[in-house]
Amino acid sequence: MMKMMMISSGGTALQTLRLAPSLCKPPSLQTLTRYRHGLFRGPPLLPSLLRAVSSPALQPSSSGVEDEKVVVAKPQWKAAIDFKWIRENKDLVAGNIRNRNSSANLDLVLELYEKYLGLQKEVERLRAERNAVANKMKGKLEPSVRQAFVEEGKNLKEALVALEEDLVQLTDRLQQEAQSIPNITHPDVPIGGEESSIVRKMVGCQPEFSFAVRDHLQIGKDLDLFDFDAASEVSGSKFYYLKNEAVLLEMGLINWALSEVTKKGFTPLITPEIVRSSVVEKCGFQPRGQNTQVYSIEGSDQCLIGTAEIPVGGIHMDSILPDSALPLKYVAFSHCFRTEAGAAGAATRGLYRVHQFSKVEMFIFCQPEDSNMYHEELIQIEEDLFTSLGLHFKTLDMATGDLGAPAYRKFDVEAWMPGLGRFGEISSASNCTDYQSRRLGIRFRPSLSDASPANSKKGKGSAAPTQFVHTLNATACAVPRMIVCLLENFQQEDGSVVIPEPLRPFMGGLQVLSPKF
Amino acid sequence: MRSISVFRRWQEVERLRAERNAVANKMKGKLEPSVRQAFVEEGKNLKEALVALEEDLVQLTDRLQQEAQSIPNITHPDVPIGGEESSIVRKMVGCQPEFSFAVRDHLQIGKDLDLFDFDAASEVSGSKFYYLKNEAVLLEMGLINWALSEVTKKGFTPLITPEIVRSSVVEKCGFQPRGQNTQVYSIEGSDQCLIGTAEIPVGGIHMDSILPDSALPLKYVAFSHCFRTEAGAAGAATRGLYRVHQFSKVEMFIFCQPEDSNMYHEELIQIEEDLFTSLGLHFKTLDMATGDLGAPAYRKFDVEAWMPGLGRFGEISSASNCTDYQSRRLGIRFRPSLSDASPANSKKGKGSAAPTQFVHTLNATACAVPRMIVCLLENFQQEDGSVVIPEPLRPFMGGLQVLSPKF
Repeated sequence: MMKMMMISSGGTALQTLRLAPSLCKPPSLQTLTRYRHGLFRGPPLLPSLLRAVSSPALQPSSSGVEDEKVVVAKPQWKAAIDFKWIRENKDLVAGNIRNRNSSANLDLVLELYEKYLGLQKEVERLRAERNAVANKMKGKLEPSVRQAFVEEGKNLKEALVALEEDLVQLTDRLQQEAQSIPNITHPDVPIGGEESSIVRKMVGCQPEFSFAVRDHLQIGKDLDLFDFDAASEVSGSKFYYLKNEAVLLEMGLINWALSEVTKKGFTPLITPEIVRSSVVEKCGFQPRGQNTQVYSIEGSDQCLIGTAEIPVGGIHMDSILPDSALPLKYVAFSHCFRTEAGAAGAATRGLYRVHQFSKVEMFIFCQPEDSNMYHEELIQIEEDLFTSLGLHFKTLDMATGDLGAPAYRKFDVEAWMPGLGRFGEISSASNCTDYQSRRLGIRFRPSLSDASPANSKKGKGSAAPTQFVHTLNATACAVPRMIVCLLENFQQEDGSVVIPEPLRPFMGGLQVLSPKF
Repeated sequence: MRSISVFRRWQEVERLRAERNAVANKMKGKLEPSVRQAFVEEGKNLKEALVALEEDLVQLTDRLQQEAQSIPNITHPDVPIGGEESSIVRKMVGCQPEFSFAVRDHLQIGKDLDLFDFDAASEVSGSKFYYLKNEAVLLEMGLINWALSEVTKKGFTPLITPEIVRSSVVEKCGFQPRGQNTQVYSIEGSDQCLIGTAEIPVGGIHMDSILPDSALPLKYVAFSHCFRTEAGAAGAATRGLYRVHQFSKVEMFIFCQPEDSNMYHEELIQIEEDLFTSLGLHFKTLDMATGDLGAPAYRKFDVEAWMPGLGRFGEISSASNCTDYQSRRLGIRFRPSLSDASPANSKKGKGSAAPTQFVHTLNATACAVPRMIVCLLENFQQEDGSVVIPEPLRPFMGGLQVLSPKF
């Protein structure tokens, strides 16, 4: 019993800390009401504000939705959202939200934005008045006149403080709502659900087998390549040990992918796998959502990465890059961790869906006008890699219903997996345009004059206004799914597996995985 | 004393059980109603007393376990007694390199060669995180591939392991996931942790098993990333790659018969010394004193390599013989062969009559990548800022011979 107490007390205390914020009722609704009264009544401001605070909150029609949607914590960071553009293109944005089945509330965002503009004007007006009063008090004045000015100044200051508070809360609320508006969509992207995705390219054809095809689990068992059972005891389901030649296979795939992509001018990286949760959010993921894919570290604001896209995107956060530095192309190796919560029912067998895996990821920072071109470049690299291994696959232009919030356009590659009896996703290439960079704060300064070649954080210099870079990410090699492909496609009747030629130099020259008798 | 009171409690429980059974037996067959009733009463009293005592017994046993688990492993008789300063140098290899120029540390070399980024990692992740860039990526991959290759050639089975494990497995290996200043990261909302070393998932591979005698020794070489909080390491050397939260490591692990563990300990340290000698490092092997052994270790050899930038020796590996400390916790036994035992692993299987024994476990670092990178950069730096790659690594780095500054 003592043992149990020791272990549970620590855990419970931390759990409670985490839950606390959601138990607090946000004051934002009250504050909005207070402001509204003030705005409509005009000067003098103070008495109206006092009255409004004690009156029951007004409930305009949109507030019903507000009540349900008001979630909690003040955003820890701000996305540089272009509200003006959204307002000017609201039909486009609304249509996009519909096509993507997004739950973003555009009407609310626009409403909050209007309020924000009005409140900002009001704050500025009050500031101007206060300055005017302060100016009037310079020089000689009758004591009674001075006293009146002092009073007025004090009233204005109080009103200002209250309004500025309102402004902060409104800004936070606006951020929170606006952050969930998904990226706009490339005009060529098909509209609809998964079934609407279009096949851009088909490479190879289904291999024919003169014997009964085995799936990768069976092959792995025969060749003593995996241990799922022991991993289940040690770690839990969807974990695994790779053994013997499977270790060579994983190392070979990683080394090969890094080598091939580096040859194309990408800078190789090995990244942290623990990152601050704010960075995860800025990349467009939701670490604390229900059914989150993200593992969090107990007692800290850190998470495990689900993809190297996150630490690579973060490498240049809060920076202004010189024009001449772009494009920046990285190829990054990392382990990836995913909870796979909510994946019940989906294909989960063996290596197809696991909690931990190795991945080589490509990432590009570029000028806005170039991102479509680099998207094509990335998918071409992927297709070349998979073709060179002899895989049969198709490239899909994913439909709007299947795009993640950050993606302007997404190409998925699905490879034929004989053991599974269907195509399975082995890679994804997304053009995120400025969605991530507006959140990560990554800008560049177009060169109008000689800019310094070194990176500078928030540097000053030439007069050209900064713009947000575009970011793209693409899977060069997700190891477990590649292992599934290789084992299932290149299996021989006698149980051996032929290693594709390009991999052999990276596997010490090994040509075949043979059964041991 | 506690174990005696557990024993007495257990004796008491057995006595009451016997009494209760006796009463139950007396009630079989025909009896006068009043006699039967008396027996029923007695049986009921005994049962209540028994329930209370059995509860006591459970709590006492738990308490005993808890206290006893913190008793450290016994110690090899040759191990020096005392603190860190009492450790003995078993072997010294090579000598301090001489430089005709001002020696740079690995951080400076890394800066000049554009190999690391600690600043960006500090923003993205926190202090003691880093990105490896350019040739440093080749260096890490080269070191891992080389170490795996070399040790596999010596008959070890290569493994890639999970890096998330149940906290109970961490404890069974002798670590304390929830202690103060714990080195272990825990996953929120679960009983899982991140591993600080592949020793943990490899030890766990055979937990709760009875291995056939013929299967031993089982030798594994495992590659994994390792995660350590480094809480409580303030003041210790922390600069650059020397102390980080995440790193790659190739680890050797052996399960063997008890009488062989000393021999395999010597084998493991020999492998390590061969590896480091082949790279041209200057190092010393230490027989660690009693004050510096972890609870599981019967004996521990540490290798410290000369790091010119640091200006002293720094630990690059550790080889421990844990005898049966971990196996008693992980439940790993073997059945000495008196008859033909089945060659397959069996969990708690029955079979031949020989009683099972606990295996001995050993673990040893083949290559801890960041510290090796520190060694290579600092020892093989040239005046012009370049770094010469030791020969054995070159085939694993696409033939690269030198890391050169880019002008």
